[in-house]
Formats: sequence, C-alpha cells, structure tokens
Amino acid sequence: MSNRLIQFSLAKPIAVYGLLLIITLVSGLLISRIQVDTDPENMLSQTEPARIYHNQVNKDFLLNDLIVVGAVASNEQSIFNRRSLSDLKQLSDAILKIKGVKSADVNALTTIDNIEQTANSGIRFEWMMAKAPTSEAEAAAIGAKARRLPFVVNSLVSGDERAATIYVPILDKNESYRIATEISEWVKNLSDANDYYVTGLPVAEDTFGFEMFVQMGIAAPAAALVIYLLMLYFFRSATLVIAPMIVAMATVIISMGIMIGLGYTVHIMSSMIPIFLMPIAVVDSVHLMSEFADSYKPGENAKAVIGKVTGHLFQPMLFTSVTSAAGFFSLALTPIPPVQVFGIVVGSGILLAFLVTILFVPAYVSRMNPAQLEKMQQKLFVGKESNSLLARILPSWGEFSLARSKSIVILALILVGVSVVGIYKIEINDNPVRWFKADHDIRIADKVLNSHFAGTYDAHLVFEFSERQALVKQWREQIALDISADKTLSQTSREQIDSFFVRKFPAANFQDFVFLLDDLLFEESESGAETIERLIELSERYSSQAKVFNQPEKLAYLEALQTYLLQSGRVGKSNSVVDLIKTVNRELRSGSSKDYQLPRTQEAVAQTLLQFQSSHRPQDLWHFVTPDFSKAQIWLQLTSGDNRDMSAVVAEVNAYIIDNPPPSGITVNWAGKAYLNLIWQEKMVAGMFDSLTSAFVIVFIMMVLLFRSLLFGLLAMLPLSITIIFMYGLIGWIGKYYDMPIAVLSALTLGLSVDFAIHFIERSRTIYASTQNFKQTMSAMFQEPARAISRNALVIALGFTPLLFAPLVPYITVGAFLAAIMAVSALVTIFLLPASMKLLSRWLFKNEQRSQV
Amino acid sequence: MSFPNLNLNLKLNILFNFWHNKNSADHRVEGTNIVARTRRRFSHFENVSAVFLMVILSGYSVTGVAAENAPMDEKLNADQIVAKASLSAYYGGEDGRTLARMRIVDANGRKQSRQFTILRKDLVEGGEQKFLVVFSRPSDVKGTTFMVHKKPDGEDDRWLYLPALDLVKRISAGDKRTSFVGTHYFYEDVSGRSPNLDTHQILQETDSEYILQHRAIDSASVEFASYKTWIDKVSFLPLKIEYYDEKGNAFRRIEALEVKQVQDINTVTKAKVSNLNDGSYTLLEFRKINYDLGLPDNLFSERSLRRPPVKWLKTK
Repeated sequence: MSNRLIQFSLAKPIAVYGLLLIITLVSGLLISRIQVDTDPENMLSQTEPARIYHNQVNKDFLLNDLIVVGAVASNEQSIFNRRSLSDLKQLSDAILKIKGVKSADVNALTTIDNIEQTANSGIRFEWMMAKAPTSEAEAAAIGAKARRLPFVVNSLVSGDERAATIYVPILDKNESYRIATEISEWVKNLSDANDYYVTGLPVAEDTFGFEMFVQMGIAAPAAALVIYLLMLYFFRSATLVIAPMIVAMATVIISMGIMIGLGYTVHIMSSMIPIFLMPIAVVDSVHLMSEFADSYKPGENAKAVIGKVTGHLFQPMLFTSVTSAAGFFSLALTPIPPVQVFGIVVGSGILLAFLVTILFVPAYVSRMNPAQLEKMQQKLFVGKESNSLLARILPSWGEFSLARSKSIVILALILVGVSVVGIYKIEINDNPVRWFKADHDIRIADKVLNSHFAGTYDAHLVFEFSERQALVKQWREQIALDISADKTLSQTSREQIDSFFVRKFPAANFQDFVFLLDDLLFEESESGAETIERLIELSERYSSQAKVFNQPEKLAYLEALQTYLLQSGRVGKSNSVVDLIKTVNRELRSGSSKDYQLPRTQEAVAQTLLQFQSSHRPQDLWHFVTPDFSKAQIWLQLTSGDNRDMSAVVAEVNAYIIDNPPPSGITVNWAGKAYLNLIWQEKMVAGMFDSLTSAFVIVFIMMVLLFRSLLFGLLAMLPLSITIIFMYGLIGWIGKYYDMPIAVLSALTLGLSVDFAIHFIERSRTIYASTQNFKQTMSAMFQEPARAISRNALVIALGFTPLLFAPLVPYITVGAFLAAIMAVSALVTIFLLPASMKLLSRWLFKNEQRSQV
Repeated sequence: MSFPNLNLNLKLNILFNFWHNKNSADHRVEGTNIVARTRRRFSHFENVSAVFLMVILSGYSVTGVAAENAPMDEKLNADQIVAKASLSAYYGGEDGRTLARMRIVDANGRKQSRQFTILRKDLVEGGEQKFLVVFSRPSDVKGTTFMVHKKPDGEDDRWLYLPALDLVKRISAGDKRTSFVGTHYFYEDVSGRSPNLDTHQILQETDSEYILQHRAIDSASVEFASYKTWIDKVSFLPLKIEYYDEKGNAFRRIEALEVKQVQDINTVTKAKVSNLNDGSYTLLEFRKINYDLGLPDNLFSERSLRRPPVKWLKTK
C-alpha cells in the first residue's frame, strides 16, 4: 500500500500535480458558495428540544429578534428634557420607516400608549408622546406619565431616568446589520442632546460574522506566512519549502471546499478550520524533509533518496496522523453541531494532509534540480551544528533530565496535584457578548445600557395549561352525550356538529364551535334552538375554564413568583400580563397605588383586558398570553448574559417551584436566548467529557498496538495527560472561565501532543535496538530526533500565534492556549519522558534486548 | 369644526354603515330620486344659517350644493363624490338594530371572537346619533356595554360599563384611532372619520366605481400617509378602503365582502379588515338586521349601561 502510493508519486509526478490541481480548483470553486452562520442558537441542533421549545415560544408569543437602541442624555441630565425627547421622537419616527422593521411592535416612549384617569371618572388612552415636547414643562409632564407605567420604568426609561431605549423588532435577523447601520446613520442627524448606543443580539451576531471573515482573511494567511518563514529558517531552501506550503494550501482549500459544498455553513468553530489545518498539515512534510535533508548527499539520486525516506517514515506519519485525527474526530461525540462539523472536517483534513504529503512531496522533491538541492545542502550544513539554538540547548536538557530523573518525576507529580486542585476551581461560564473585546462598541453599549437599565438580556418563563387537551376531550364527550339523548335537533344540525368534531378534534376550538352553533340556530325549530342555546352555554363554560390565564388565582401565582424573582436580585425586572392587568385596573378604579392589584374574578380580568385591547397597541397583550389564555409568560430582564447568572436564576426558580408548586394543571418551562446559551453550555461540558475520555481510550489502544507494549502505551499517554491536567489546572487557578473555546481545547491537545511522544518513543526504541545502551540512546535522542520534535512543536505553536491578533476573544483564547499547550507538551515530552524511561528502563526495553539477542 | 350635513364619514365605517346605507335600489331605478332625497335632507339645515355660512366658507358648500344640484350624467368632482357617498351613507331610517359578530385571526391563524348587539338611533338625520353596544360573548365579557352619543359638530360622548367591576366610566375624548376591543377596527371606523379632516382627489373612474385618494390635513394625527376608497357608482357604498404608508405601500385594508338589501336598503353584511403586514385580520358579520324599530330616546341613557334594555336587544 505504502509502496504503491510512493511509486505512483515518483513515477507519475505530472499526474499527481494535475490531480491535486484539479481537485483543489474544483473544491476552491465550491468555497464561493460560502454561507456564514453567526447564530448562537445553532450551537444546538435543529432537533434539540430546548431549541424547538424556544422557537415555539417565540411563535406563540409573536416575539422577534430585537435591536436595542439606547439614548443616554448628555451632561448627566434627566432624559425628560425637551431636546432629548425631541431627538428620541425624530429617531423613532425614522426607525418606524426603515424596511424590515416590524413597526407595529417598536417599543419606545414615542410609540407606546398611555392609559390614565381623567376628570369625571373618565379614562383615556392616548399616545404617550405623539408629538415632540415644545417646552421643558411638556417634557416633564411626559416623565410624570411614564413613571406611572410599570412597563416603561427600567425597560423604556432607565430607573435613574438618564436613559431611554428604543426596542426595534426586526422581521429577519439577517437584515440586522443593514438596519443597525441605517439607525446609526440617522443618529448622525441628531443634536448632541443624547449619546446613542446600538446593540442587541442580532447586531452582535452580524458584527461577529464580519469579524469572522476578518479572522479568516487575515489570521489564516498570516499563519501561512509564519509557518513559511519558520520552515525557511529550518531548511534554508525556498524551493523545498514551497512543497509543504502547497500541501497545506491544498489541504485547507479542499477541506473547506468540500465542507461548504456539502452545504455546511461557516460558523465560529468552522471558521478556525484553516488556521488549525495549516500548521498540522505541514508536520508530516517537516519530518520527510528533515530526514531527506539529513540523508541526501550531493550527487545522489534525489528520487531514490526521497522514495526511501518516505517509505521509512510512512508508518509513524500514518500513526501520528491517525491519532491526531482521532482527537478531532472525538469532537463528533459532543452534541454541539458546529463543534461536530469542526472536529470531522479537521480530522478528515489531517488524513487528507497525510495523503497529499505522501503523494505530492516525493513527486515534488524528485523533480527539484540537483543545483537547488546542493545549495540547500550547503546552507543547511553550514548553519546547522554551530548556529542552531536548538542544537546547542537540547543535549544539555537531556542530560539534566536523566541526572535529575527522580526530582523531575516528583515535580511532575506535585504539578499534577496542584493542577487537580485548580481543576476543581474551574468555573463554567460563557457569554456570547464577551466574545467581543472589552473595547468593542458592542461591549461598551452592553455595559452602559445594563448599568442604567434592569437588563437587556432576555429569558422567558413560560406557563402552560397542560390539561387543555383533557378538557377539550371532556367537552366533546359532554356534547356527544347531550346530543345522543336529544330529539329536538334537526338532522342537519346533528351532522354539522358531528362533522365539526371529526374535522377539528383534537385542535377543536370552543369559539369555532360556538360560531357553528350560532349559524345552526337560524335554521332550527324553537325546541331545537333551545338545545343549541344550551350547547352554546356549555361550550362557553368550557371555554372559560380553559382560559386559565385570566383566572385570578393562576395570575396570583405569576404575581408571587415575579415578586420573588425581583427580591432575588439577579433579575433586574420581570414583566407579565399581571403587570398589565394591574395597571389598567388601577386606572379604571381610583388611579392610586392601592388599586394596583389583580381584580377578583375571571370576568373582571377579562373586562379589564378588553379595555387594554381598546388601546393603540392591543397586540402587545399577545406577547404575554396566547389568545386562548392557555399559555402565559414572564419576561425576565437580566443585567448579565453570563450563563452562570442565568443558571443561578434557573436554580432559584426551581427552588421556588418546589416550595410553592404551581396551581394544578400548570407546567413551567424556560425559553429565551439566555436560557438557550445555558443549555448548549451544559451540553458542551458533558459532551466534552465524553469526547475527551473516548479519544483518550482510542489513542491509548492505538499506542499499545503501535508499540506492542502496555507500558510504552502508558508512557506515550503521559505527556498529553500531564499537559491536559496542567492546562486545565492553570485555567482554574488563573480564574479564566471554562467556555466554548476552552472546552474544545482538551480534545485538540490530546490529538496533537501525542505526536511528540510517538516520535520520541519510536526513535528511542530504534536507537536502543542498535546501541543496547540506554545512556547512548538518550544522548543520540537529544540530537536529531529531539530537534525534529522541537521544530514541529515550534511550527504548530507559532502557527497559531496570528490568532492572538484576531478581533474576537475566542480566537485569541484558542491561539494563546494552543501555543502554550504545544510548548508545554513538547517540554513534558523532552524532560519527563527520558526521566520516566530511565526509571522504568529495566522493564521497558526487555523486548529490544531480546530481539537483539 | 365639522358640519352636520358633511360629517358623513366616507370612511366610513363599513363597520356601521348598515345603519346608514340606505342608498337603495331607488338610485338605479330613478336618478332624480337621490336629488329629491338630498334636498329633503338639506332642508334640515337651511334654518341653521350659521352652519350653512360655515359650509359656504369652508368650500364644502360647493360640494354640498353641487352634489345637490348636479345632474346624474355630469362629471362629479372628488368633493362631490365624497359628499354624495357621505350623504347616501347617512341618509336613512330613524333607527336600527343588528347582531354583530367578529372573528379576529392573528398572524399565526389563532382565532378569537366577539359578539354584540348594536342599537342605533338618529336624532337628526345626518347629524347626532346615539349608539348602544352590548356584548354577549365571550361569556367573560358578557354585559359589557358601550354607549356613544355622536356629535358630528363637537366631541362625541362615550361611556363604558364593565359589569364584573360594576363600573361606569366615561371614555375621554381623544384619539379615536385606537383598536375597537382588540379587533382590527378602530373606534374611528365605528364612529366615523369626518371628511373635512382629509383632502380628497379622484384617481380613476371606471364603469362601476370611483377610486378616490384621501390625505389627512393633520398628518401627524394619523398612522397613514394616504388612503384610497373604491366607491360603488350605484349604491355609493365604499366597497374597499386601503391605507398607505409614506412609501406608498398598502398596510391596511377594509373591504365589504357581502352586500344585501335589508328593508330595501343596501347593507354591508360581511366585511373584513386586514393587516397587510402580518396577514392578520378581523371578519365582521351583521345578522338579524332591523331598521325603523321606533327605539325610544331614553334607551340611550346612562341607566341603560347598567341595565341593558332586554326588550330592545332581543332579536327575532
């Protein structure tokens, strides 16, 4: 197999070039079909119950994604001044006209209704601010009105009254960037009365998409450049170094092309595929070229030498590729689709890179002209022994490691112990807004608005009448029973009633049935009409019973829970139909706060709501209850989008529900973006544990098979285990949150750092087999083999460093930690492996001794 | 300021126009009939010289007088059509009663309903009117009552009775473009938008219809930039009204779905208001319509709010 591939490569280099070129070009064309996905919701699969429920809730309560425009009055003034309000009016009028804005639902001082008492026991609905105030007195009057409305305070006007918001629902969240830009353009026409902040999740997502392209467009090519320069330094031949660069480019283009061609969107995770594949793809080439550069002597047949080298390295390269791929493939075990796609594409990319290396590099090297090879050879040998920093330092490290083997092992054990303590300190937390740097506009807006208001992060606590179906069934049976004994109804009426239930059940709607009965009433005899009237009355009774959320005792449960939430401190504010009913009730009655309460009967609630519905914005009611009153929601405003805060709120609500069970037949569930983030984080943490353990087991089995030794297998797992424990311990100690990028790192570390151990052990055994002396073996190991390992560690570590200059925090985290991981695992390999080998040498090299005998 | 004879909401409240649309088959039979009727109606106001003077000054006089005198075969101008449509809308029986039911369908296709009885009495033909609206369904709002004393030349008086709270409230005068009990109809669609709040223009005249465009004089007080009406040339019923935003996109439509003759009066019996942005709508049906019942004036007093006049509400 290996020979056939190498022979093909050497015999038909032009065919190899052509094949690679065609595949790369075709895949490259597919990249043009790129679709960027910045929706954090997609961290969960389409079929994830929490996500399906969240979307159902959005549909049930007619909720849209929101752009939040904040206006903070300048000079520490109250927002209720003439100029600030006039500008706000001008801006919101402009926003209402922007295409793609769901203007009926835009929420601002200027678009909402005010309800208030008037003289002579009157009541009035009017626009809170139909026209811009023309005097300071008018502005103050608007303030006085706004202060009375619980829906305004801390939502549309901040508690300190310095700031106001405009909530802009948008029909399609892919349009948010255009709409946000149009809003920002409008802001420029306004006076300096207010400072403006435009934010909201859709804006963050769109900005994110843009920054992703920046990352891919700048960081990935920068990584390529760093790797190129590094290899040029190692091999001193621009011509030779082009080969691994071609391998890397082809691997990246083909992998991305196929991924995009298969219809996968480019998500935050998959946008990192190029920068992951680039350094990993050149690793095999570095081995090939290292050995080729060592073996090739001027005048020799390059073709024969590269063929021999490739054949020799085929197996270790295959194994390192397969183990690295296994580390990435294990990400497919996480239930997070973008992470799965990332793992599978990078894993496949690594295998592809191996294949391309085996086919392309021999073909390429065999066609280099002898003059170029000679030049490389000269430069390399001149520079090598004397100048190379690695060449000077590594042997002394080796000596130290062997001399202090016990101390090193003890030190490693202490380090592991300290790290394990650190791991217990890890705090799991994420927040997509924190993916932006602290000085990013979105972070600033987030900070400013959440300091003034009760919070711009949403969660929905949804209450459902779960026994509605049972009630509908009971009603149907009751009607059937009533009719079966009846002789007064006409044949037509009976047929119509029967067919109604056959057609509509179980989705039968009480009011639909009443409409039908109403129609039948016209044609009925006098006695039949009486029966119909009775059925109507019966259905109306069931209908009222099913309208759970205009029943005062159910509403009182929501009210009490809201009070509890507010006291807990983590929830800035909550809104529900209860606040709305209480406000209208107050204005219908005395207008004073003693009447800010729920009416006592279902009818009184219904009639109060009928008044609310006689306003300019009757549709606002349906954001809090469904039209059949079988579902209601409390909309929670949180000042923090941190998952741990959401998690604490969920725990508090759960505790409350256990102590105060909801009225019978009522179920409680969560929805909302903040909650969804929490769900995918939980899935990520659990999934990463699965993926890490399974990858660990698979790699361990592969190591045992490769080395045909349990002890060597365990030894090979040592560097990566210590590296992983150390890195996560470090994360715990420095207090960095365990978030999405950190979670992904574990599996990557496993796949990448096992390479060093494989090469170290494999070479040690080979050398020992010929020297039969551990000391000599180690001394030889710290020459060429240690250098090769260090070179690869440097290529990968430095290859990721351009991510440090990326505009988004997750990229920086990945770049910094991967560089550190490569460094740590190379160091652990170089120090700990020889030390351990020395201590275990008696058992380790039995086979080698015997085989020698 | 509005005028009794001209405050004939073209807008007209398809919702309530069954009260008004008595513009009858007579028109079809005999063109001059309408002139005769119009003359009779104007006679109400000939005594009110001050009002008449205002009519002249306002320019609407031209409309009124022209409408009165224009022979049928002559081209009518926009104001004349509005006046004629308004006149025919208001010209009619002394009083009426109907059962109304509404079906509100939201953007998700979810339905709600309302059922109520409307009693109406005209005090002055084309002038003051009184309405009593008594809800019967859903059962939780049963007995909720609205009363309107419509005063075309002043602010309407509106009352509300909520039985479960045992509360009578006056609804303050103010913006009338608020929802009528959560439906897609506005109070103004119910009580009528005065034609002199708008300017009118003929866009097109077909064999069967006039198509007019209207713009509010005080554009800040309304949510539309303009609206169009399709007025039937024979009955002068507006069969369709469409509202447009500043970019000229239609966002709201009111249309008559069924017109029947009740006691020889062309009456809209089914209508629909649609929100063209999200696809939600309200369907309206009028049934058991009766005109000229001889409703007593004291029926429309605060007393009736708390004690619905069962005798008159009972439909046959």
